[in-house]
Amino acid sequence: MAKDAKKEAEEEGGEFADFLADVSKEIAQRVESLDKRATPAAQEKQEKQEKKKTPIVADAGVIVEWPTIADRLIEEMR
Amino acid sequence: MSVVNYGTREITCKIVYYGPGRSGKTTNLQHVYSQLPEERKGKMVSLATETDRTLFFDFLPLDLGTISGFATRFQLYTVPGQVYYAATRKLVLQGVDGVVFVADSQSRQLAENIESLQDLHANLADEGLDPRSIPLVMQYNKRDLPSNEISPVEALDETLNFRGVPHFSATAVNGGGVFETLRSISTLVLSRLSAPATKGS
Repeated sequence: MAKDAKKEAEEEGGEFADFLADVSKEIAQRVESLDKRATPAAQEKQEKQEKKKTPIVADAGVIVEWPTIADRLIEEMR
Repeated sequence: MSVVNYGTREITCKIVYYGPGRSGKTTNLQHVYSQLPEERKGKMVSLATETDRTLFFDFLPLDLGTISGFATRFQLYTVPGQVYYAATRKLVLQGVDGVVFVADSQSRQLAENIESLQDLHANLADEGLDPRSIPLVMQYNKRDLPSNEISPVEALDETLNFRGVPHFSATAVNGGGVFETLRSISTLVLSRLSAPATKGS
């Protein structure tokens, strides 16, 4: 996977390519360490915690999606 | 904001460019946007006044594709620098993973830099984030101005960078130092992936 990302980054060219290559390398390292830590028990615990969270209601005045808000602002300004 | 979601195999990082008005925050994002390959160019949202000042915020989504099995997205934001947009700055900081403080190197802007840095700390604290530990990078922008108009990097660092975080000289208007800064903050944010989850994770 990391090799794919590296290859992809090389194909991009320019400053962005260098950035992408560095980020890919960093993520590959981190994911490796995360994979080692992510035992089935830990994953089950995380899933349980996620289920317990109170769902956020979009129309309760809580911003749940920034791009949507930005789109709406632009729309209103037109 | 959750930096990594192991369940959905997603990594999302929110990076906010903070700093006084006219320090070059939007210019940083514009340069990043200009360097994106066409197929990766999303929509850069920029809400500016007639005089090109950021009215609300700039937003640049960076979809980096799937890296090591994780769909990776960076979201770059700027805040409006002017003092009276305090509420907006606070809002944009919600769920932030890393901050780039863009300082104006001009000697006459030193007080504004300090004020903005204090404002950043206060707003982070209000969000329940520790200003002493959140990933932070300093960028000293406008280094292309005449030397008699700008403060030496050492002086800026001594005054503003009390945490001793990575700092970069930049001329964002022609792209100098922009990606170096972004790379540094990204690495700092990603380095926390293996750290214990904190707020919102």
